[in-house]
Amino acid sequence: MSSFMRPQDAAGWATLVLAVIIILLGLPLVYMGAELAALGGSWYYVICGLAVTLSGVLMALGRVAGALLYLAACAFTWLWALWEVGLDGWGLLPRVFGPSLIAIAVLLCMPVLKRAEAAHSPSARKVA
Amino acid sequence: MSPKPMLRNVLLGATIIAGMTAAAIAQVPPADQPPGTGNATPPAEQPAPPADSFAPPSPNAPQSPGVNAANIPDGPPAEPSEATPMVEQVTANPAHDDWPGYGRDDRATRFSPLDQITPSNVGHLKRAFIYHTGSKPAPGQTNKWAAETTPIKVGDGLYMCSAMNDMMRIDPATGKEVWHFHANEKYDSIPYTAACKAVVYYTSSTVPEGEHCHHRILEATLDERLIEVDSEDGKVCEGFGWHGMVNLMKGMGESVPGFVAETAPPPIVNGAIITNQEILDGQRRWAPSGVIRGYDAETGRFLWAWDVNRPHEHGEPKEGEHYSRGTPNSWAAMIGDNALGLVYVPTGNSAADYYSAMRSPEENKVSSAVVAIDVKTGEPRWVFQTVHKDVWDYDIGSQPTLMDFTKPDGTTVPALIMPTKRGQTFVLDRRTGDPVLPVEERPAPSPGMVPGDTRAPTQPWSVGMPRLGFAPLKEADMWGMSPIDQLYCRLKYRRAHYVGEFTPPSIDKPWLEYPGYNGGSDWGSVAYDEKTGILIANWNNTPMYDQLVNRKKADQLGLMPVDDPNYKPGGGGAEGAGAMAETPYGIVVSPFWDEYTGMMCNRPPYGMITAIDMHTQKVLWQHPLGSARANGPFGLPTHLPLNIGTPNNGGPVITAGGLIFVAATTDNMIHAFDIHTGKEVWNDVLPGGGQATPMTYEYKGKQYVAIMAGGHHFMMTPVTDDLVVYALDNVN
Repeated sequence: MSSFMRPQDAAGWATLVLAVIIILLGLPLVYMGAELAALGGSWYYVICGLAVTLSGVLMALGRVAGALLYLAACAFTWLWALWEVGLDGWGLLPRVFGPSLIAIAVLLCMPVLKRAEAAHSPSARKVA
Repeated sequence: MSPKPMLRNVLLGATIIAGMTAAAIAQVPPADQPPGTGNATPPAEQPAPPADSFAPPSPNAPQSPGVNAANIPDGPPAEPSEATPMVEQVTANPAHDDWPGYGRDDRATRFSPLDQITPSNVGHLKRAFIYHTGSKPAPGQTNKWAAETTPIKVGDGLYMCSAMNDMMRIDPATGKEVWHFHANEKYDSIPYTAACKAVVYYTSSTVPEGEHCHHRILEATLDERLIEVDSEDGKVCEGFGWHGMVNLMKGMGESVPGFVAETAPPPIVNGAIITNQEILDGQRRWAPSGVIRGYDAETGRFLWAWDVNRPHEHGEPKEGEHYSRGTPNSWAAMIGDNALGLVYVPTGNSAADYYSAMRSPEENKVSSAVVAIDVKTGEPRWVFQTVHKDVWDYDIGSQPTLMDFTKPDGTTVPALIMPTKRGQTFVLDRRTGDPVLPVEERPAPSPGMVPGDTRAPTQPWSVGMPRLGFAPLKEADMWGMSPIDQLYCRLKYRRAHYVGEFTPPSIDKPWLEYPGYNGGSDWGSVAYDEKTGILIANWNNTPMYDQLVNRKKADQLGLMPVDDPNYKPGGGGAEGAGAMAETPYGIVVSPFWDEYTGMMCNRPPYGMITAIDMHTQKVLWQHPLGSARANGPFGLPTHLPLNIGTPNNGGPVITAGGLIFVAATTDNMIHAFDIHTGKEVWNDVLPGGGQATPMTYEYKGKQYVAIMAGGHHFMMTPVTDDLVVYALDNVN
């Protein structure tokens, strides 16, 4: 079983904080999104909420896959948003603006996650 | 960049994150929100007698102290009589330079022939002066202000009223006060809003020219008085009523200050002053009457009453009796028709707006309608209803505008344009009330969800006129700053009943009211250029989120009528939650918004402006009205010049110079548009909210534009006592 990241520097801490924020943002999407789906509304939120929450957990574990999952969820969000409102600026704002900002932050954290994953991998241990 | 705006921008950015979490944290709505599913149990089969903690006052109970504010002696009940004949008034054919009435002329066109200011020179428009009316909240007073005032200009005088009914004459060039009449109104007399839309200029037929009170200024007040003063010195006209005043609370029965009020200018038609009155919404089923009355413009003598549940009695009620209670009240500005001898009354709803089971058939015929009343007798001539059995507070707020409508066969019909909160604009024949443009009765959701209170099976749609509104809401129309607050709004949408327009009221969970009760078109009304046939309307797109609650729940929420001894201001208001005492239900009303961020749940725009060609009934142009500069999440101004389209209250003005002036928006700006293209050619930030209709006049060769920047408490715009007047800086 993997353990949580042990940040060594500012970049590491920033990554962990970002991961926690992503979890905190993902959980209400799951919770409220499940109710929305149950009431006959869109399934996007509960599905995306699960993916985002999982991506935050994986990032907190120092896994590159977490970042990749978040980026995939963001890409999926773009596709869904364009399907739902087309190229309408006001319509796109709530759907993609915030998630895309976070996606940029996730991209910036990628080197940290790669380092963390390398440190945990068996080959890295051999080298050490 | 100064630190403050930067901080705001950072905060805006932080909103993206914070807004997401804030929406998620608390699932318990604030107290002024509809309680939601499971919190309102439907009543038993037989509704128990209302479990009020007090006995409702008898309608025959004496009026509380202060209701007859000036202690005007009433005298015995008067029999119907006819008005003193009238001379032609200044509004019949306004002088080129003047704006002599609320809607400028006898037709309420809000069109001025002035053309000094044009789209090409409007950039030179600068403030000429600011006049202070002196009426705004004192420290410690709850803000109930929204002056909504349009000054009038006749000859050398600019005349207006303050939000609390002082009357003033101002020099049109300098803003210097010539005289000031003190109405000495009490704070307790303010109903929902301290407003005075305009004064009325009246020329006497019995007092000769040159004598005191030949030209008079008339107003109707919040504390239910008619007051006439002389236009030259501002002193009361002793020949009118009791020392210049008439007590309009006579015959109204039990009441408390602030329950009954007048905010609109009373029209004078063939010598009769016609009065209507705003009755505080949502208080009790047997609230004071919505009676329409006529008074002699010369003497203040009572002429007649039109009392819905006493249809053929036109005199004042006998001693110990009162006008019929709870009948539809009319609070909009009315319009007269001297040629046909009619006054057109835009009516509202019977008391207890959201529950209709206790209304009489007579009330059901005339609520949320245009009623044409014969000004000689008080007898109704025709009725055109815009909503059948209204339970959505779709009372009519707009003043009708009169026009001559040319039919395809070339004949001309004297017509009336009636904008409504529904965004349906009806065009009617003034002689008969018959629609000039087609009106269809379309199926509406029926029978509804409240036991014993069935909805009308059809509702009228003005299919011949462009609709001032959008298609019904879909879940995908929900909005927010982030996916989380958008999701919260989608949930609110799914948690409510909604089957499109006229979704019936419900008890088990909230229902979505769309269009909302702020319109469509509200009291701002429309402007019409008879020469070009262009009609200008600004309107709202703001849904409401409502729920009926049973009496027990209403008591728990502390909903009480205004005349309950335990009533606390803020415990229930005209536009929010209401007790609707003496019915089985109370009502909880809120904007359809994310109550955590304060942003509307539906996507923008929230306000629009539309130009319609009345010859073809086609939209010439239409676009969002109002920017995001003073609005944003958590009430923070964004300072963004984005033309998002904001809620707006206050009407437009058209000038022969090819311009439209309109303020109204919650960005606290006054805007000028080129009437032909719709392009915004000028704007200015006002010191307060511009929730009033502007006006324009010329004086000594110079054209001025005046706007009352009085703000509006409900629109949450800054309240001031500033009348701001503009003129070109390159004209002497």
